[in-house]
Amino acid sequence: MTEGISEELKQKVLDYLGTTSKAKNRDVARAIEVDKALVDKAIAELAKEGKIEYLYLGTSYIQLKQQ
Amino acid sequence: MADQDTPLINELEKGPWPSYVKEIKRAAKKNAAAKDLLGVQEQSFKDRITHWKHGGIVGVTGYGGGVIGRYVDMPEEFPNLEMFHTMRVNHPSGWFYTTEALRKVCDIWEKYGSGMTNFHGSTGDIILLGTSTQNLQPCFDELAENGFDLGGSGSALRTPSACVGPARCEYACIDTLDICNNLTHEFQDEMHRPRWPYKFKIKVSGCCNDGVAAIARADLSIIGTWKDTLRIDQEEVRNYVKNGFDIKGIVIDKCPTKALDWDEKKKELVLRAEDCVRCMHCINKMPKALRPGLDRGATLLIGAKAPIVKGAYLSWVLVPFMKMEPPYDEVKTLLRNIWEWWDENGRTRERVAELIERLGLKAFLKAVGIKPVPQMVYKPRANPYVFFE
Amino acid sequence: MGKTDLGPPDYRTMLPKVIEKNYGKWKYHEILKPGVLKHVSETGDEVFTVRVGSPRLVSIDYIRDICDVADKYCDGHLRFTSRYNIELMTPKKENVEPIIAAVQKLGLPVGGTGNAISNVVHTQGWVHCHSAATDSSGLVKAIMDELYPYFISMKLPARLRVALACCINMCGAVHCSDIAIVGVHTKPPKVDNSKVTALCEIPTTLSSCPTGAIRKDPSNPKSLVVNDEKCMYCGNCYTVCPAMPLADSVGDGVAIYVGGKVSNARTAPMFSRLAIPYIPNNPPRWPEVVSAIKNIVEVYAKHAHPEERMGEWIERVGWESFFKLTGIPFTEYHIDDFTHAIDTYRTTTQFRW
Ligand code: HEM
Ligand code: HEM
Ligand code: SF4
Ligand code: SF4
Ligand code: SF4
Ligand code: SF4
Repeated sequence: MTEGISEELKQKVLDYLGTTSKAKNRDVARAIEVDKALVDKAIAELAKEGKIEYLYLGTSYIQLKQQ
Repeated sequence: MADQDTPLINELEKGPWPSYVKEIKRAAKKNAAAKDLLGVQEQSFKDRITHWKHGGIVGVTGYGGGVIGRYVDMPEEFPNLEMFHTMRVNHPSGWFYTTEALRKVCDIWEKYGSGMTNFHGSTGDIILLGTSTQNLQPCFDELAENGFDLGGSGSALRTPSACVGPARCEYACIDTLDICNNLTHEFQDEMHRPRWPYKFKIKVSGCCNDGVAAIARADLSIIGTWKDTLRIDQEEVRNYVKNGFDIKGIVIDKCPTKALDWDEKKKELVLRAEDCVRCMHCINKMPKALRPGLDRGATLLIGAKAPIVKGAYLSWVLVPFMKMEPPYDEVKTLLRNIWEWWDENGRTRERVAELIERLGLKAFLKAVGIKPVPQMVYKPRANPYVFFE
Repeated sequence: MGKTDLGPPDYRTMLPKVIEKNYGKWKYHEILKPGVLKHVSETGDEVFTVRVGSPRLVSIDYIRDICDVADKYCDGHLRFTSRYNIELMTPKKENVEPIIAAVQKLGLPVGGTGNAISNVVHTQGWVHCHSAATDSSGLVKAIMDELYPYFISMKLPARLRVALACCINMCGAVHCSDIAIVGVHTKPPKVDNSKVTALCEIPTTLSSCPTGAIRKDPSNPKSLVVNDEKCMYCGNCYTVCPAMPLADSVGDGVAIYVGGKVSNARTAPMFSRLAIPYIPNNPPRWPEVVSAIKNIVEVYAKHAHPEERMGEWIERVGWESFFKLTGIPFTEYHIDDFTHAIDTYRTTTQFRW
């Protein structure tokens, strides 16, 4: 299910999140101009790897994991 | 809470139907929150109003749903209910269990919760009723250790459910359990992390008897059907008739399209196949003699919801017939397209059907890439106000 | 962080052997007697199912009791139906009577098959929900005590589905049931303006109201007022703004809707429609609600043709006959004035007296 998500894409997501306090999956997909289904998968993997975390404020946001 | 303190709810221990009050009392022997629950029930019966209220949002790490925060509005009187949160635990498709798995859930809930449950919630989850904020995470972790996960809540995909299907029903035209299980696993992210305008439900029935009420309750209703002709075993039909079955009154006359006849001379059931709309009625009444056809798939319908806010909808036909073979890529792609359009255009708390009504079925079909066919409507429009492109 | 996104347990690991072996191969079934089904497979295998009524709101010890029965007679497997019934399955015919005896010893009824009244799909009510306009488990218990003879028999013209929702959010999605009981508030929310700023987001609250009944107080922008004329007591505002409770010990009660169905057999699915607009709450046994339901069931049982669901019967005889036969008064509340109202106004000169 999560195969085929390149490290490159994940890095792009992380780089974008570095520029903002929080974002929705849709915002990320739009900003880095990648298909949202792929971005969703990349984000799910990054969460599993503990690099980002979810934030629930009425709807789901993601942000870089706070150190 | 002694027995004499709850005279009103004690009334509900009487009578032939099994009593939930007895059940709360059983749990109350072991658990203080369940004991207070008796008290708050009695209080509500006396005051004729609810004693629950909103409070802070609670949950488990990584998830935006699956837990509903609950708080009693009389915490001084019922201190053990100050927090009484619900956990929704995703049931196995078709609600089949081993006793081993069920006992595990019971043991975990004995350790972390009130010992009260709903088997099941109206969406289908196992509902674990009543625990504190600090018990949520360890309870969840232990459930996960034992192979269980939380279901959906909030503006997310809700726990999909399916009728018993091919596991024990000869009418099932699709593998309801596999479809439900497969889609649920595919869309875990959509379930656990609410990010849509509102909730979205998927229900799967093996035939149009619709045992899980998909057509009334699911944003995407998947209902098994067939495209060829229903199968008739004339020998068995004759057996029904021989045994005094009123084939004319109960079957022939009730067929909605008058597609059936009984040929008294040949002693045969005659079917005008092109008139059959596959309503299941004759099959329901003569299961030994009649069976669905063999070219099987599903009708996909969109939009059913309860009345809140703009009135109730039944689902509308979206795809009259789709083959349903694993890995179900066609449905998955369709779902992703629907969600993308809805997420892009929907207002907060707007269900997909309400959005379709606001922007038009035409716009929706275009967005998800489906061609209009007459099966989608009862009849074409009667007014001349067409917007040509 | 522990494990996440496991998903539900695989149903394949939960199936009884006889089900696993005959998955997708079932040929036909018979109802041997109320509550007992026999399914026959193309392989010649048979499975017997005993359907057992359950109150749904149960303790873990109840689940363990059922597990004991399943361990003894069903090789440690069981299932639940979409209407909360328990189904105990066995390939051995000789196990059927002992299963029935065992569940009856636990105080549970066997039935709910064929032309019966099955379990009542329902919601949370006063045991758990903040928006409840009536109780759920208590009212269901009172109703099922009365309808019990219809659960353990199959003597109705067709199946009859009862569902109950304790407010018009309708968690139970009851709107397509033969008989639907719905908790209704009849008084607008009482705004507690001292708590509005702390508990509520004002724009969200304003936009939550489907009829636009909520405004900011012109004299104090941090306060809200409700236009009572416009309010339809839906409770949407309370769901987003806890400072606007609308529960009321006198005004709350239930409405009864009839004639809905979800199955496509014969006729298309239908919505339930208003029969009785309001009956006040009367716990612990709601006698007025129970007798109103019993009356509807009995009139239906007497007048419907075989195989006619409630809604099909009413469509055949006309709503005017339904009100006449049941003796339920038709009032101004029965005339729809909401979003799809006009579709319900009669556009023909055909009717009955
Ligand atoms: C805090 C109060 C509430 C409680 C305790 C509650 C409880 C529940 C429960 C336990 C379920 C079944 C869940 C499952 O099986 O997974 C459910 C389903 C549902 N709830 Fe609620 N609910 C509440 C508020 C609401 C609100 C505010 C709405 C509507 C705006 C709503 C609408 C529904 C609907 C439509 C269903 C699904 C019915 C179906 O699947 O057919 N509920 N609710
Ligand atoms: C007019 C025809 C039918 C209608 C309206 C109908 C409707 C329903 C409804 C409302 C339920 C939920 C019942 C409960 O849980 O107690 C249900 C469940 C069920 N029905 Fe039917 N049904 C029809 C015919 C049949 C027939 C003839 C069979 C036999 C093969 C059947 C098999 C089942 C099974 C196995 C369930 C349990 C499904 C589940 O909960 O997963 N149905 N049906
Ligand atoms: S919906 Fe159809 S396939 Fe599913 S259990 Fe009911 S009758 Fe069987
Ligand atoms: S399935 Fe329905 S429409 Fe088709 S022949 Fe049977 S009763 Fe008629
Ligand atoms: S129907 Fe209404 S009162 Fe009942 S549980 Fe659902 S939201 Fe709460
Ligand atoms: S109860 Fe409903 S109609 Fe009344 S003010 Fe609140 S949201 Fe508006």
